[in-house]
Amino acid sequence: MSLSNTTVAETGQANAAVRKSAPRRSAYARRRGRSGLVFVTPFMIIFTLFMIVPLAYAIDQSLYSTKLIGGTSFSGFANYASVLQSGPFWGGVIRVVIFGAIQIPVMLAIATFFATIFDLGVAKGGRFFRAIYFVPFAVPIVVSSLMWGFLFDPMYGPFNRFMTALGFHNFNWLSSALMLPTIIIIAIWEWTGYNCIILYTALKSVPRDVVEAAILDDTPLWKIVLRIKLPMVRPALIMLVFINMIGAMQLFVEPTILNTYQPGVITDTWTPVIDIYSTSISNGEYQLGAAMAVVLAIIIVAISVASLAFRNRRRELG
Amino acid sequence: MNESRRLERLAERDAVIPVELYGLKRGTVTVLTACCVLFAVFTLIPLAWVIINSTKTQANIFQSFGFWFASPFEFFHTFANLFRDVDGDGTYSNWFLNTVLYAAVGGGGATVLSALGGYGFARYRFTGSQLLFGAVIAGLLVPVTLVAVPLYLVYAKVHLINSIWGMILPSMVSPIGLYLMRTYVTLSIPRELTDAARIDGAGELRIFFKIALPLMVPGLMTVLLLSVVATWNNYILPLIIFSNNNLYPATVGLGLWSQHATTSGDANLYPLLVLGGLVTIIPMIALFALLSRYWRSGLLLGSVAN
Repeated sequence: MSLSNTTVAETGQANAAVRKSAPRRSAYARRRGRSGLVFVTPFMIIFTLFMIVPLAYAIDQSLYSTKLIGGTSFSGFANYASVLQSGPFWGGVIRVVIFGAIQIPVMLAIATFFATIFDLGVAKGGRFFRAIYFVPFAVPIVVSSLMWGFLFDPMYGPFNRFMTALGFHNFNWLSSALMLPTIIIIAIWEWTGYNCIILYTALKSVPRDVVEAAILDDTPLWKIVLRIKLPMVRPALIMLVFINMIGAMQLFVEPTILNTYQPGVITDTWTPVIDIYSTSISNGEYQLGAAMAVVLAIIIVAISVASLAFRNRRRELG
Repeated sequence: MNESRRLERLAERDAVIPVELYGLKRGTVTVLTACCVLFAVFTLIPLAWVIINSTKTQANIFQSFGFWFASPFEFFHTFANLFRDVDGDGTYSNWFLNTVLYAAVGGGGATVLSALGGYGFARYRFTGSQLLFGAVIAGLLVPVTLVAVPLYLVYAKVHLINSIWGMILPSMVSPIGLYLMRTYVTLSIPRELTDAARIDGAGELRIFFKIALPLMVPGLMTVLLLSVVATWNNYILPLIIFSNNNLYPATVGLGLWSQHATTSGDANLYPLLVLGGLVTIIPMIALFALLSRYWRSGLLLGSVAN
């Protein structure tokens, strides 16, 4: 009997039942609970020290202000008021929203197109192309920005010469008008392969017999793709939209590196993260920078929560 | 090719419906393959440019045709310069070794902590376990970019600015890694197996190391790969917390060079920037090629978790 008791106690529900009748909870179960704590403690210590504490400290600091005369004092939500009223900060937010609104649909369209081709096997060498497309994911963003910076350089970049050869003189990919579109091209290069592989894996899990039945009914291929395949990977697509939105909000490295090729275009407030960096590190107004970071974190957490809510609602409906 | 690999490929071929059955017009496959080639060219253009131009002098990088070689062949000269401090900013080889150190210890540590923690949350219920796991899930939502400035503020207080631990320890925090490992343990280690060992009188740690850990290897490789890549590519955290150039990882060193390249004059930084970029990429591409078996499944798991 003692044997079967032990096995039952392993399952979560049984454990919960044991917990309800506390006195009956065996010394054994308590000892096992302690082992669980031993396993998670190393992670929790590092997690607390290097994530929870810094975030809590930043929130705390964002409630103080330092003045030239009078030193540091509690100022409540004064920093938040100035962030919320800051035109340049919201200008940066709008810029990354525009960036995402163009980059994400274009990239997902390309990624879906190729994922479908690979899944159907209607192009030769799918395996080879899949490997090639994934390569940019392994390239640090600093290095991809450097490489594209060379290609787009206003003085000697090959793409600039190409435009000159086409008759566009004084064409500058990194001018203030074209900087955002250029970064969109770079971001598409960086992320299409990753999104494509995820969509490909999702498409692969569509049951084969559904497609076979459609073929037997003489359904044309484009209908199979649009009516059967793509609706079944919609959850994956929606999830990718949200992941990419969160990524777009954090745009930092590409503009920072491209700034070295064409100084002056990227301002200190060009994106929210650049704004946070220049406010708290370059200008030393770290309390204001902390408030900006909290505001941006709230925006990003809101996007994440929306994605979870969206997914759960769909699950209930389905 | 070994047997399991061969069977895997056969199974994959079987799962694909033969193209002839779709009743496509003639030439469709050719057109679609051409599309694939076009996008492959787009993907490879920057890499080709970097490989070709890593062999050139600074003057030739500016003046010669970008997509073909030009003499003199300067590759070895530039490569030797990667081991020298050419303009007082620092030495690339030093930055590269820093990157290796941070990625190996940070990524390795993240994997160990995630494995222990994921197993703990998957297999044990204890007072507060749900609360702690909830905190980890909340940590998933916090973007790493936004933790950098708060970390800097704390480091300024506790004197961790310009300390390698200030870079390595936060790299060990991987909520996504823990989540992946917990999912992996739940899905792929049968409870009967650990229970049987327990009945035989094995201790909890012994069960973990002797039974669970060997079965967790594929999941561990995924977490290792993702956390090594994340640390290798990290830019904003080391940029903020290091003011001593000798501690820079390759990403921050290259960023500094790109700022100074136009003004460095005699130092000829452009060839170094091109070759340094190339050298920074190669280990990551090799790692992905080597572990390609693992990342496919891991990516999907990871993206679902996000």
